Amino acid sequence: MNSYFVRQALIRVWALLFCSSLGALAQSTAPPVKASAPFSIRATHLLGLENTKSNCNGTLSIQGDALQFQQGEKPGAEVKATSIQAVFLGGESKQVGGLPMKLGKAAAPYGGGRVVSLFAHKKYDTLTLVYVDSDGGVHGAIFQLSKGQGELVTNLLKARGVSPSSGEYQTTKQSTVEVMDENN
Amino acid sequence: MKTIRRSLSIIYVAAIVAIMAAFPAWLPAQTAAVKSSDASSGSAMQWSVQVDRVNPGDLEVAYSFQVAIYENLLKELNKTKQFKQVFRDGDRNASDVPNLLVLQTTVEKYTPGSETRRAVTTVSGATKLTVRSQLLTREGKIVLERRVNGNVRLFGSNLRATHNLARNIAKAIKQSRWDVG
Repeated sequence: MNSYFVRQALIRVWALLFCSSLGALAQSTAPPVKASAPFSIRATHLLGLENTKSNCNGTLSIQGDALQFQQGEKPGAEVKATSIQAVFLGGESKQVGGLPMKLGKAAAPYGGGRVVSLFAHKKYDTLTLVYVDSDGGVHGAIFQLSKGQGELVTNLLKARGVSPSSGEYQTTKQSTVEVMDENN
Repeated sequence: MKTIRRSLSIIYVAAIVAIMAAFPAWLPAQTAAVKSSDASSGSAMQWSVQVDRVNPGDLEVAYSFQVAIYENLLKELNKTKQFKQVFRDGDRNASDVPNLLVLQTTVEKYTPGSETRRAVTTVSGATKLTVRSQLLTREGKIVLERRVNGNVRLFGSNLRATHNLARNIAKAIKQSRWDVG
């Protein structure tokens, strides 16, 4: 009888240890966030960067302590993390398809284009940077990223020195989808 | 039945074309009521201007809009060639310039709008911006004050309103005469 209770207790302790070790293993298998690892994503430069066209697609990368935007094979524009004063994260919903889609929607009979517009939109993250140049002049740059990637970039920038000591760090979620005050 | 459908489609397309022809002001996706005097400033070229960051006032203006207005203003003021130099906010080089004006922009009205609502309804979802633009001397004397609009009513992304606004501000400054003395 006594040995039965001992065996039961051992089984419970073993089960407890097994579960906790599984939890620890699950935590350790999560992808580690390496602040120094190079990172790059596809992005659209909306405006602001020096010597870079507005509304152009390219690669936004973070290498070392700098954020870079490269359009194709051209040399990229670079912003040092230490010069960044503020990072703002916002959201926007945009119509997809460009001009051909617009023309198609306009030509569709019986208001069919409007129905298409209802579904032909996509949500994006907008990443707004405020940084200073060597003369102290304030610059701003806006990037459009796929939904969810903006937060990733802001976290990486934070890890690379965009700290409260070097300026204001602010992350806000702003949606421009809804219109509340229409008749002003 | 087919013929009726075809003729209805033709009528529909013709109606769209007729509306577009009748309201050409809608096409550039902006309307701006810029108050301006008819005189042109002849002495502006000897002045330089420093563009301050946009003041959102009491409104919750998206940061992307504030930055876009600021950057577009710098671009549009450079384009007008009205000023000797256009400086950014905080630029240390501006302190050595003798004739410097400061451009301050305060947002008075802001409607974020929605591109999807514009596409679906046509009549709603407009992005509207109204700002008060002031040109000041270093001593703080206001030499020019204008209320300027920048809207997107039909085509274009919401941020296009900032481009239209900056263009209208630059246009208002170019067309106005200011008295510094």
